Amino acid sequence: MFNNPYLEVAVVALGTVVFIILVSLGLGNATRLIVRARGASLSYQNNTFAGYLFASPWIVGFLVFVVVPMAFSLYWSFTDYRVTANEAPQFIGLDNYTRLLFNDASFRASIVNTVFLTVIGLPVQMGVALLLAVLLNQKTHGERLFRMAFYLPVILGFNTAVLLCWRLMLNTGTGVINQIIRALSEAFPPFGFLNRGVIFVVELVNAFFLGLGSGKFNLLARVIEAGFPVDNRVPLWVQSPLWTKMSVVLLMAWGCGAMMLIFLSGLNNIPKELHEAAQVDGASGWKRFWSISFPLLTPFIFYNLVIGLINSLQIFEPIFVLYRDNQPLVPSTISMVYYLWQSSFSHFEIGYGSAISWLIFVMTLIITALQFRMQDRWVTYELY
Amino acid sequence: MRQLSPLVTRGVLYVFLVSATVIMSFPLFWMISSSLKTLEEANSPGIVWVPQQPTVQAYGEIFRDTDFLRSYFNSTFYTLLALMGTLVSVAAVAYAFSRVEWPGRNVVFFLMLSTMLIPPQALIVPQYVFFNALDWIGTFNPIIIPGYFAGGAAMVFLLRQAMSQIPKEMDESAYMDGASHLQIWWHVILPLVKGPLATVATFLFIANWNNLLGPLIYLQTVDLYTLPIFVANLYNINNAVQPWPTIMTAAVLTTVPLMIVFFFAQRFILESVVTSGLKG
Repeated sequence: MFNNPYLEVAVVALGTVVFIILVSLGLGNATRLIVRARGASLSYQNNTFAGYLFASPWIVGFLVFVVVPMAFSLYWSFTDYRVTANEAPQFIGLDNYTRLLFNDASFRASIVNTVFLTVIGLPVQMGVALLLAVLLNQKTHGERLFRMAFYLPVILGFNTAVLLCWRLMLNTGTGVINQIIRALSEAFPPFGFLNRGVIFVVELVNAFFLGLGSGKFNLLARVIEAGFPVDNRVPLWVQSPLWTKMSVVLLMAWGCGAMMLIFLSGLNNIPKELHEAAQVDGASGWKRFWSISFPLLTPFIFYNLVIGLINSLQIFEPIFVLYRDNQPLVPSTISMVYYLWQSSFSHFEIGYGSAISWLIFVMTLIITALQFRMQDRWVTYELY
Repeated sequence: MRQLSPLVTRGVLYVFLVSATVIMSFPLFWMISSSLKTLEEANSPGIVWVPQQPTVQAYGEIFRDTDFLRSYFNSTFYTLLALMGTLVSVAAVAYAFSRVEWPGRNVVFFLMLSTMLIPPQALIVPQYVFFNALDWIGTFNPIIIPGYFAGGAAMVFLLRQAMSQIPKEMDESAYMDGASHLQIWWHVILPLVKGPLATVATFLFIANWNNLLGPLIYLQTVDLYTLPIFVANLYNINNAVQPWPTIMTAAVLTTVPLMIVFFFAQRFILESVVTSGLKG
């Protein structure tokens, strides 16, 4: 339309603003006419007009960018539709879904990886967040500075620039993280022993999950056969399929600042009197944490769990930056959204991509609903 | 714990807090330090904490790289244009949900909250087809225009919570004086929620500045690439030696606007995340 892309989008944006204003006026006037016909008072008419006038940007956006696309993609998910082929969608029934659920190794891998991030990564992330929140809650000097430092990774976290810095630091041979691990292991033998122990456990767990994904457990057998790691072993962060997911877990733990703030507000909500009373009764700090703070924190843990699960289904940027150019590693770490991007936009299989989208959506709903179902069993809303 | 003197526990606490701070901000330090290194130092097998002779060679190079400058301009342009429209529309919708009583408000509000459960990425496939039909692929339109329709239910919710706390008398007296809803919104309500508005603006800035998936799908041509794509492409597995100083220089320059925005807005953000329980 234009030769200048900046001018073009500026004109389209201006047109959009005009369009939104016109639609808002239209919707406001239409609803005012309806309530007037029903004999509403003048101020009620005015409020109806204003309400729809102000809310219509969202209402229109919801219809255009959410309802209509979802309806179309639901239909396309039952068809064979390639946008480049210039052909109408061919109805193929449930074929896309059966192929996804039973014949697609990559999709299966993405589900197993998501389960890994949920079962291993999320508890690690929440544990770090809770620890930092408890430390911050001790009312120290410079609390504000510490809080800023802990929250900063949330802001930087998923920018590709910062992820590339992690890639530099995680390099197996020359990366600074492994250099520090090597130096510490040499300086303090107990640390070296701990490091080898952690490596062993991580590789066992990861080999098990990779086996779940592929259905073959020979990698697990190899790890067991190799036995306890030798002296100079370091983690193979961005190099081995046994470690690719751990790098993502590390990034999750680093970016726990948002969860930490939620926990902090939870800790602030706990009445001081409870702790004081328990202290008079002679309860230790540890005991007070588990029998007073922790139960009262469960609603906040629940909130973080719901949000964390939705987020872990959507991880994309870390995998793109860390592993995109290393295809043999991708299956060991691929997330559902990464797979959606890969299959939809490399072959432009819209029908298949729609089926993935709907599965992601339905899984999010089911998991969230299940969590709300389960919350009665462990979430404490009142202590007394 | 009771045997330890308060002074010791206090000391241990500070040691923990300071080491956690060092660990959390280490990537940032490493990024800056690496951007000042020579190629040999950056790829050296030993730890080079701080470059022996800091060099700004990489900075000179990247500022002569027209692709970098253009993607920097693209990111700034896209972020600001998207931010303006989204902020105004979100503020308008939040007003409707907090200060006006209208039939259907609760139903629409419930619908809006429930969209928070829809993973935005689950919509990219049908939206791609839609934008393709509009002939918008290869333009900035698909990553800017949707925001103008009050994109982001969480942002509306945050502002709505803030606006709900303003006493009813404020707008009622203005209404008695004959002010219209538009005037009340602009002259009475918005000045009272400056802090939350700053928070929303910051979140929107960060989300757009960091956005990778949208630009990756829709921009298609090198001329339109934003910083996240440009920086990600600097690292190439086929390079014999990765040009880490250059990559980290681009990374530092990409991060600077985020740091500046966060520095000025952190007061509002940290407060409103705690009070509204929202994640950024």
